[in-house]
Amino acid sequence: MKLRRSMLFLPGSNAAMLSTAFVYRPDSIMFDLEDAVSLREKDSARMLVFHALQMPIYRDIETVVRINPLSTPFGMKDLEAVVRAGADVIRLPKTDTAADVHALEAEVERIERECGREVGSTKLMAAIESASGVVNALAIATSSKRLIGIALAGFDYVMDMQTERGDGTELFYARCAVLHAARYAKIDAFDVVFGDLNDEAGFLKEVDLIKRLGFNGKSLINPRQIELLHNAFAPTEEEVDYARRVVAAAAAGERQGLGVVSLNGKMIDAPVIDHARVVLRRAEASGVRK
Amino acid sequence: MPYVKCSNDFRRIGHYVRATSKDGNMTEEIISYAIDPALQSDERDEVCALLARSGLDYEQGVEAFVVFRRARRLIACAGLEKNVVKCTAIDPELRGEALGLRLLTEVVHLAHERGHSHLFLYTKPENVDFFRSCGFYPLAEVPGYVTLMENTPIGIRSYCDGLRRLRHDGAVIGAIVMNANPFTRGHRYLVDRAAAACDHLHVFVVAEDASLISYRDRFALVKSGIEGIPHLTLHPGSEYMVSRATFSAYFFKEKGVVGDCFTAIDLLLFRNWIAPALGITHRFVGTEPFCRTTHKYNADMQHWLREDVSPAPAIAVVEIPRVVHDEVPISASEVRRLLATGDFARIGGLVPPATLALLMAKYRQDRPSAARGGPGEAAVNRASA
Amino acid sequence: MKIVREALAGTLESSDLMVRIAPREEGLEVVLQSEVIHQFGTQIEAVVRETLAKLAIVDGLVVIEDKGALDCVIRARVQTAVQRAVDEWTAEWSALS
Repeated sequence: MKLRRSMLFLPGSNAAMLSTAFVYRPDSIMFDLEDAVSLREKDSARMLVFHALQMPIYRDIETVVRINPLSTPFGMKDLEAVVRAGADVIRLPKTDTAADVHALEAEVERIERECGREVGSTKLMAAIESASGVVNALAIATSSKRLIGIALAGFDYVMDMQTERGDGTELFYARCAVLHAARYAKIDAFDVVFGDLNDEAGFLKEVDLIKRLGFNGKSLINPRQIELLHNAFAPTEEEVDYARRVVAAAAAGERQGLGVVSLNGKMIDAPVIDHARVVLRRAEASGVRK
Repeated sequence: MPYVKCSNDFRRIGHYVRATSKDGNMTEEIISYAIDPALQSDERDEVCALLARSGLDYEQGVEAFVVFRRARRLIACAGLEKNVVKCTAIDPELRGEALGLRLLTEVVHLAHERGHSHLFLYTKPENVDFFRSCGFYPLAEVPGYVTLMENTPIGIRSYCDGLRRLRHDGAVIGAIVMNANPFTRGHRYLVDRAAAACDHLHVFVVAEDASLISYRDRFALVKSGIEGIPHLTLHPGSEYMVSRATFSAYFFKEKGVVGDCFTAIDLLLFRNWIAPALGITHRFVGTEPFCRTTHKYNADMQHWLREDVSPAPAIAVVEIPRVVHDEVPISASEVRRLLATGDFARIGGLVPPATLALLMAKYRQDRPSAARGGPGEAAVNRASA
Repeated sequence: MKIVREALAGTLESSDLMVRIAPREEGLEVVLQSEVIHQFGTQIEAVVRETLAKLAIVDGLVVIEDKGALDCVIRARVQTAVQRAVDEWTAEWSALS
């Protein structure tokens, strides 16, 4: 299971950031060819990302590319370039229905065959940015084996809902809907970008909320937010300690061929063990919470 | 890491770009887009205010601006008048190289979209290093006042390489730069006199299409008008000679130096680059009995071409009195005045037959104002024979 | 492919480069300006020429203002400039890596 807490947005047209962003060690890097790139630079950003994806510095980090919608003149060209360049994940913006994912999947498979890439090796994630997307979240989340997650994108969604970003109330239903769809489909769920780069307290408050809701992580636009996010997701000393004992007990139970595992006289079942493993992986990735 | 968001389209979230503010640690969203100052007066007023804060004046000729906004406040601008970058300013609170590079990138792309790839700009000599980092290279400098730069490292060099192939050796190599708007018997007289005094004469026709008579027509008339004169090379004009770029008036706070600098740059380009390439030793001009500006230009020529203001060899400036017809010196401006009134009988006395034929065929004036020409023409006329 | 118009790609920002390409009749001329020209000038020019060769560009004037870009950024910008300067872009993705 891949840890995906932080997904760092990089504008596909920015050579400096593409050349250096790996140093911030986000869990995933998302090269953006869509909203962060002006119409004038769609071609140059595509070319830059095509090359960046093949850089050795991105070999050990999950690469995601947000392509332009296939309904634009850019989407298909983006896809042709980045599937060939070896992008791990394609992020489809403005996903309204499962059919959007199916259309993308068919094209990805065609390109994989054309360029000799293993069919199925290109993963997908769908960004939900509208009321339609939220209502269809379950169908979207279960639409393809390639899907590794679904993400809520707040800016377009609140516009579609005829409201604006505020304290989070406006996103409450969408967050829950996306999260339930993801959990049902057993894929990851990612929360919206936090826009105010200077409001650290506000960012941490939102991170706390989405972590408690159960999101896997969040899209980020500033590398400075990565460490804050990772720390917020890091377990406490006590949590790590408990998780270690859960995992040890489970391992012992397995060795002894026990169907039921107990710790300190309390039964622990599979979900608890899975959660303990996540806690340990988070601790392994960024230590205990400071 | 601080960010700037840019967009060509104001409504859409654009690309994030790094910017550095004074404290080096601020994160801000900056939006970039282009404006037409003639249509967007609110934007223009803010550009004026930013320029004023930076000690610069707003120039009327600017056709488009790239502007950056942060939190609705206008923080940077760069303007374009055809292929000349003008009115470049960054909020004094925010000076930072990254923002400047971003601004120049945007204006260079905007110019390209508007069909101008060869760009020029005027700046104070202390800013030359910054613009050098933006891919602009110095062409000529009036120390302490102004430097003209172009956005290619090989522009004037390749131009001069081309000129060198047309070089003729001799003790006296002359040059005349003429707008010939239109070519008159006065021009013919000037060329005759100059050619007689030289081993070889180079005649340049101002290329800037800002005059009543098109460059194509002016060049053709000069070509036919000087037929038969030996030891003469006729050159097309270039961006480097009496062009919108070399003659662009650069406005300083101290208005007094404007006039000097705007002739100086053109003359220094001639002295430092063009004259050495062709081995030019003398520059010939007609005397200017009517126009005080042109009279001053001729005086400036004496200064910038002859005095010890450049490492390049001095060039002698020879003023040749104008030929007189009916007791009035012949001038192109008089021809244009007569053209406006349709007085072809009198024009016939001032110009060769080819010019008269062309004027009658193509430039008959219905509107009395047309002969005045645009503001660009005024500058070009002042500078030329 | 043939360069038929002037084109521009890239930026003047750090770690990037600005590529200007223009039609030219006789052969290829590459003019390179770089902040690191003394250490890397030869290498940068080699990357530029190799990228152009893969695109079968044999005539053209290429002026580069480099700000310390990585090789793959140089390739990307040169390819984009060519893409913008030709009438018909026929390169396969596999020829661009």
